[in-house]
Amino acid sequence: MSIPGWLDDFLWTYQNLIHGLGINGLLALSMYVVLAVGQLSLGQAAFMGLGAYSGALMTMKLHWPFALVLPASCVVPVAFALAIGVPTLRLSGVYLAIATIGLGEVLRAVYLNVDLFGGALGLNGIPERTETWMIYALLALALAGFWLVGRSRIGRAMEAMREDATAAAVMGVNVARYQLAALVCSAVLAGLAGALSAHASSFIGPNEYGFEPAVTILSYALLGGIGTPLAPVVGAWFLTVLPELLRGLPEIRLAFNGVIIVLAVLFLPRGLLGWRMRRRAA
Amino acid sequence: MIRKILTATLLVAMPVMALAQPVPLGAIEVMSGPNAAYGTAIKAGLELALDEVNTKGVLGGRKIELIVEDSAANKDQAINAARKLIGRDKVVAIIGPTLSNEMFAVGPVTNERKVPTLGTSTTASGITDIGPFIFRTSLPESDVVPVTIKAAQAKGVKTVALMYANDDAFSKSGFDVMKAAAEKAGLNILAIESFGSKDADFSAQLTKIKALKPDAVGISALVEPVAGVLLQAKQLGFGKQTLFFGGNGSNSPKLGEIAGAAADGMMVGSPWFVGKTADNNAAFVSAFNARFGKMPDQFAAQAYDAMKIMAGAIDRAGSTEGEKIAASLSKTDFTGVMGPFQFTEHRDPATAAGVVVLVMQSGKFTIAP
Repeated sequence: MSIPGWLDDFLWTYQNLIHGLGINGLLALSMYVVLAVGQLSLGQAAFMGLGAYSGALMTMKLHWPFALVLPASCVVPVAFALAIGVPTLRLSGVYLAIATIGLGEVLRAVYLNVDLFGGALGLNGIPERTETWMIYALLALALAGFWLVGRSRIGRAMEAMREDATAAAVMGVNVARYQLAALVCSAVLAGLAGALSAHASSFIGPNEYGFEPAVTILSYALLGGIGTPLAPVVGAWFLTVLPELLRGLPEIRLAFNGVIIVLAVLFLPRGLLGWRMRRRAA
Repeated sequence: MIRKILTATLLVAMPVMALAQPVPLGAIEVMSGPNAAYGTAIKAGLELALDEVNTKGVLGGRKIELIVEDSAANKDQAINAARKLIGRDKVVAIIGPTLSNEMFAVGPVTNERKVPTLGTSTTASGITDIGPFIFRTSLPESDVVPVTIKAAQAKGVKTVALMYANDDAFSKSGFDVMKAAAEKAGLNILAIESFGSKDADFSAQLTKIKALKPDAVGISALVEPVAGVLLQAKQLGFGKQTLFFGGNGSNSPKLGEIAGAAADGMMVGSPWFVGKTADNNAAFVSAFNARFGKMPDQFAAQAYDAMKIMAGAIDRAGSTEGEKIAASLSKTDFTGVMGPFQFTEHRDPATAAGVVVLVMQSGKFTIAP
């Protein structure tokens, strides 16, 4: 079977964008899973960086096959999630957000000052191992998983915690355990996204995983909404495609991008997809 | 009726179009965000040179059509721009991207498609290692800094302390070069101190350096932190006996604007200077000033030369095929506002003959005596 020339050309032109849509979708889900239990954690970019750096080093220094690198690049983010999760999940709201931003900044300083990570120059020449189907298979798997979990008893517990953690605890929900599990899930997804993106674009640098990307990932979920797992993914797609759609207006691109986001937040407070998941009566 | 006119216009226009179909040339520059000043200067330089090139055209009178895409200093947007330029606009070659980090991401993509890519402002080491279609006209720091250090040695400098910002690629790679060049020149390095690009307090590093009494202090950082270091050095009582010199980051008129008299005596090597006394440079500066209403900077000058080098290469290639353009680029022999220019076998600039050493005097750069 051969692909027609025009389609091949089209796919080549938009390959990076197609990769970006899937990877940012994974990141949006990584944000969704912590927001779904009512936690504002901004460590997703840091987890992504850990996955990207550890994955890239496993490929470049240890010459492991990608089938091994991809699952293994979740190990470091998960270890960090467990290490920071236990003490920081006692924090909530804006305090947790600040603590997790701190993690990102600490890691950025580490990447800058340790020669293994290439310092400010980053790592370049990472072999291209990511295939488009890998990204979308993982995204579909994650979406389906969250959908099933969301419709189950666990989903009900998550929603209860999101609305009122104290009330949920009184009703017998083990809040701390759910919160830690959500953080670990978040680290796995962000780590996968990091390793996939590192092996898709051949270069990673320390400034790609700091504060700014952390906020971008949060905005995916804010824009899309968190009523269903699909909503943040749609938000991520929207924010990823928008700058490319606006290529025709170079001078006002950034401003226009901002205006659209502000309008969306003002007039769609529950996100682009505002509805909630249906659940069978218990 | 309208249809008839349209058809008639088309009929008239068609043979002309076939004769003089423009040659699409891409450029990827930072046009928005905090680094937009670089991209804007480069775009202006490219456009000025483009007008001159298009009066004659290339490949027997075909005009070059320049398509500039914004990268917003973002790796993914830079790659998207490169893929769009190659896949949709079918450009024959690309000028840019602006930042070295962007080139590390874009280079592998353009190289794979055999599209010659010419960096005009990418100074980090390893850029041309990406592949045989990656060229640059920007002198790497390793060509500029040794000239500065030689000038410092001529002033009797024997011991040196080095300072650098460790959190951006440009400053770090500039420091590596500065350290190697100082060692090669036989200077005694007394201390190496680092700081962050956004730091405001450098007193700990400077106090330590002051106690060691070096003849000179070398700084590799962007212009804002360099100005901060100079201002604090003045407060801490570094006198005229200590010479300060900088890498390419210090080479900005902003240094004098921020640091004022504290920057006096600062030495910087530059691949280009607005007051350089070559005849074609004076013409370039006045043409630039007439069209854009401001003085060109080094980035505009580099871009101006790069456009002419690229147009010349396309013309001599006699074809729009990437391989032929790359082959003819590597045979470039050109004299522009930066001075004489050729590529090495490794597609870097071959000569640093155009480098001038500048000294800051009452807030302005002048050519060192």
